[in-house]
Amino acid sequence: MKIGTLAILTIGVALLLALPWLVSDSMLNAAVQMLIAALFAMAFGLLCGRAGMLSFGHAAYFGVGAFAAVHAMNAFNGEGLLPTPLLPLVGAGTGMISGLIAGYFSTKRTGVYFAMITLALAELLHALAPHLKAVFGGEAGISSFRMPAWGFTFGSLSEVYYLTLIWTLGCILLLYLFSKTPLGRLALGLRENAHRMRFLGYNTHALGTLIFAVSAMFAGIAGALQSLNLEAANYVVLESHISTAVVLNSFIGGVRVFFGPAIGGALMTFFGYITSDLTRVWLLYQGIIFVLVMMFMPRGIVGEVIERFRHSSLRGLAQTAGTMALRVASLAIAAFGGVFMIEFIQRFLSSDYRATAGNGNWPDIALFSYVWSPVSVLPWAFGIGLFAIGIALTMIVNRRAAAAQEASA
Amino acid sequence: MTDTILALQDVHKSFGEAKIIQNANLDVHRGERHAIIGPNGAGKSTLFHLCSGQFAPTSGKIVLNGKNIAGLKPAEVNRLGLARSFQITNIFPGVTVLENLRLAVMRKHNLQFVFWRSAARLKKVNQEVDDLLTKIRLTERAHSLASEMSYSEQRSLEIGMTLASDPQVILLDEPMAGMSQEETDYTSGLIREITDGRTLLIVEHDMSVVFSLAHRISVLVYGEIIATGTPEESAPMPA
Amino acid sequence: MDQLVFALLNGTIYGLLLFMVSAGLTLIFGMMGVLNFAHASFYMLGAYFAYTLEPLIGFWLALVVSPLLVMGLGILVERFILRRVHAHGHAHELLVTFGLAVVIAEVIKMVYGNFPVEYRVPPELSFAAFTLSGLDYPFYRIFMGAVAVAMFIAIYLLLTRTRVGIVVRSAIYRPQTVEALGHNVPLVFMSVFGIGAAMAGLAGAVAGAFYTTNPNMALELGVIVFVVVVVGGLGSMGGAMAASLLIGITNSLAVGSDFRMADLLSVFGLGDWAEGVGGLLTINLSSLAATLPFFIMLLVLVLRPSGLMGEKE
Repeated sequence: MKIGTLAILTIGVALLLALPWLVSDSMLNAAVQMLIAALFAMAFGLLCGRAGMLSFGHAAYFGVGAFAAVHAMNAFNGEGLLPTPLLPLVGAGTGMISGLIAGYFSTKRTGVYFAMITLALAELLHALAPHLKAVFGGEAGISSFRMPAWGFTFGSLSEVYYLTLIWTLGCILLLYLFSKTPLGRLALGLRENAHRMRFLGYNTHALGTLIFAVSAMFAGIAGALQSLNLEAANYVVLESHISTAVVLNSFIGGVRVFFGPAIGGALMTFFGYITSDLTRVWLLYQGIIFVLVMMFMPRGIVGEVIERFRHSSLRGLAQTAGTMALRVASLAIAAFGGVFMIEFIQRFLSSDYRATAGNGNWPDIALFSYVWSPVSVLPWAFGIGLFAIGIALTMIVNRRAAAAQEASA
Repeated sequence: MTDTILALQDVHKSFGEAKIIQNANLDVHRGERHAIIGPNGAGKSTLFHLCSGQFAPTSGKIVLNGKNIAGLKPAEVNRLGLARSFQITNIFPGVTVLENLRLAVMRKHNLQFVFWRSAARLKKVNQEVDDLLTKIRLTERAHSLASEMSYSEQRSLEIGMTLASDPQVILLDEPMAGMSQEETDYTSGLIREITDGRTLLIVEHDMSVVFSLAHRISVLVYGEIIATGTPEESAPMPA
Repeated sequence: MDQLVFALLNGTIYGLLLFMVSAGLTLIFGMMGVLNFAHASFYMLGAYFAYTLEPLIGFWLALVVSPLLVMGLGILVERFILRRVHAHGHAHELLVTFGLAVVIAEVIKMVYGNFPVEYRVPPELSFAAFTLSGLDYPFYRIFMGAVAVAMFIAIYLLLTRTRVGIVVRSAIYRPQTVEALGHNVPLVFMSVFGIGAAMAGLAGAVAGAFYTTNPNMALELGVIVFVVVVVGGLGSMGGAMAASLLIGITNSLAVGSDFRMADLLSVFGLGDWAEGVGGLLTINLSSLAATLPFFIMLLVLVLRPSGLMGEKE
């Protein structure tokens, strides 16, 4: 298994290194976004998955890193002490400091209180930002330029990609090593039973603050990479939907498995990118996927996959794979029906459509290369029908799988 | 001349109007196994909470090794050499037995805010974890999740974690509660083994355990210690 | 002086409104241990339902029907979603409600658009309650306060005078015991969740007409309500009440004040320095009013981490 993991990792890294030759520029641009989202999710995963502290305000540390990097870019012009490739260090430093301050307050409480305080702190920063024009640049934000350094111009997309890749992989490696250190191990104790930790003689408030700060540091690096990529920062990065996205992505991937958040972050960013032309309600899908994952795959996608592989014989694996394929196929039917319905309703309710409709006049709606009349029963029956068939099939598959399991046991 | 390691001097504790502990005086001698018995609601658990720093006494002194520890925090009391187990199993359920003990042992080696790898110290930690596993007879279960073990195994782990800081004084709160006779005998033997060379203060309802294990017994009734003596002296007394 | 009266009155009414939402949150948390992240979303839904129903059935009927709709939705959420994930623990329940909050906000944006809708105080209620030194005080504010107070009385009577209320109050402390006594705890949970949702829905239906009804209102109010429960302590209704009023009143006092940090510093002869630094030091308190609740929260965390009336963890 160890060798298997290593092989998968090597292939993965090799693919990432070769990516600029394999995909188009726009896809490479998406890959940069995916890497940043993956690193951000890993930073969140350390705090939430490993130490059990659920933060609803991680955009704050991402944003602080992003703004610090832009200011540093303008101050140093990419030269001297801070050449362009080292700019994420500024994000790391400011992220860590802001994490120490915010962590000091928020780890005074645990559990749901902690979650609420992190959200409130992020909203505080978000509310203050418009008043601090010098720091956050007001509506327009602050822009800058990547300067050449170390013989690279950083003008081409592939150079930016490699810069992001090296930082992301390096940070993930550091996060892995961190999980092996004493402090990283104690994080588990905080998650499992902070009360007992106190009776073992640990200072849980200080431990929590430190782990919070480390997580904020990596979030700051991710923010700085974003600024390097966009050559600008705007206080949109402090908005709640950034915090929301990292929570959703990490849990969809699975926070308790090491690579879960990274894979969740990368996957969801990828889907967001490819669907951005097709749908206007991607966030809605993201929310629905999250709720479904939490209800039916509480370990997250990666966590669930690992769990299946760990507890199965080879024969069992084949059986699991068969059931899984059937289940995925039936779910795909249901998902298609559901997506069709949502998209149809979205188009039906859109302001463009409302402007043309009215007075008993209901023009047709184009969707999935066909035109549908909203007053006919056809589109509704099609969408709801597919959805129902898919759900019914899934239930049949589940029932048969359960019966098979009972028979074999 | 016996040497007192833990002493309660005129300790009072009240919660609002309710006086739970009144005028408690107790001397625990170094190296003895001392049991506290008494009816339900007598304040036995509160007494343990006071000694281990969960609560501060309303008045009075608690002296450990000549130092007043009344009002110190649990972590500080632990550092001074007193460790306790809990009546309700209090372990780290979602990680392995090995990890449970490792979390407990690391504190002793002052591995708290360390985010670099100190191989030598970690090696020492792992060695001690192995020893502990042997002592509490859980070596074979080292890689099981704590939450998946049997009740008596979890109690053993609980005791192992109490031992991890190598304390001079151990407080065990009803370690045999909810166990079968067989499990009780097993755990009783385990406690005898691991408390060798340490001081034990134990709350237990099972009188056969108390009489076979304890050197001295104190009786706590309505928050007051009304008698202390050897098992022979207290035997005729109705428990 | 008159301005102070206005500010205090506004603050009290805003505080009562906050309490309408935070009381439901506290009730649900105390009873089920679930921090319902979507609670403020129920508030938003109440406003949007009332906005939709008003042209069809009139304002008053909409005020009755929309909380009931929200209650129905709350019951569905509890029965079919929360109960499913209950076994995975409270953190998991919190996350699911967090996801629901996202979904609800996105559905609202899809259906009504990502901008405020025209939900207004009905003309028969938009008149001045009284006039102080030439300034009208809107009757509708008084009306909102009255609805809140009426609701508290109803809830209080329900909890203290009825059999169901007694079961609910004891289930808050000892759910297992209550179940062992033969009460249907799942049913009680479902009702409490529904009633909590309805309270939030009513608050939304009433307040949405006065403040704005937009897809962000859930987040904006939700954050303040969370601050209220951190400051007040989740366990106690009294704490939630005190914190709601404290935050409501400080907020409205700050809105009407032209105090600046630089003015305070000039007392110590640092005025010029502060003007030079600018930034936060020279901003009017009124434009920072929205951030005041957060600072109150930080202060409470340092001085009394368990909240004004919360119990020590």
